[in-house]
Amino acid sequence: RYVRQLQRLQLLFSPTSADSRGARQFVEEAAVDFARQHPDVVLYVSPRSGRAPVLLAEYLNGTVREELINSKTSEEIVQLATKLAGQSGLDIIRIRKPFHTDNPSIQGQWHPLTNKPSALTVQGPRLQPK
Amino acid sequence: VAKTSLTSPPWPEVKLPDPVEEAKYHAEVVQKVNQLIAEGHYGRLFAVVHFASKQWKVTSEDLIMMDNALEAECGDRIRMEKVLLVGADDFTLIGRPILGKDLVRVEATVIEKTESWPKINMRFWRRHNYQRKKIIVTPQTVLRINSIEIFPCLS
Repeated sequence: RYVRQLQRLQLLFSPTSADSRGARQFVEEAAVDFARQHPDVVLYVSPRSGRAPVLLAEYLNGTVREELINSKTSEEIVQLATKLAGQSGLDIIRIRKPFHTDNPSIQGQWHPLTNKPSALTVQGPRLQPK
Repeated sequence: VAKTSLTSPPWPEVKLPDPVEEAKYHAEVVQKVNQLIAEGHYGRLFAVVHFASKQWKVTSEDLIMMDNALEAECGDRIRMEKVLLVGADDFTLIGRPILGKDLVRVEATVIEKTESWPKINMRFWRRHNYQRKKIIVTPQTVLRINSIEIFPCLS
């Protein structure tokens, strides 16, 4: 019952420039393995000249993340791609709490009057008949 | 001997019950709880789990985030051991310090493996022309607890 949050991975590189050598090696060697290991991610490879090599990741909630792969080896690109595949589209900002529950209390939330004898049964000096 | 303010301790004196009666009462309670579990008369279960050097109070379908990277891949089911406490509406099972593995079962799935937001680590001494800036990005894992189950094998 697990849905991967990554929708599409678009790899843009240019077939001539020296920066995208790693991208070209990745496309030749590791792209097919990556696609087989992550069958629910669609990988688009589009060679375009005149653009810096970029890895575009689109998630199910619509966020798009661009990662530059200028002069990176194909192993680093593989690691980047697996990292993006494991992320979800939420913004990477400071999260205040490392947990989130919809039902925080089961036995009833504690308030200062739990585990105290009720006011009617308290024995005080005034309640005793004289 | 005369009674002064220091003859007896200031706290109220507690009489311990008879051990035989105590054992009977314990057996009765255990049998009732076993019956409840076997019939399934409990609603949501919560558990206190020791995981990643922290203790979490956990119910089903809730999210937990660790500041480390687990070895499991995204989408793997994980069974958590080291359960300290299990409770429902009417009863709680307290472990000393952990409960047996044949008693409780806590299952979780790895949802996400991301990195944290870039934390800045800066050191600065005034009037000494010394400052160092370092950006720390730690890997994080998000788990979702799928279910907590108990089995009636108390004793």
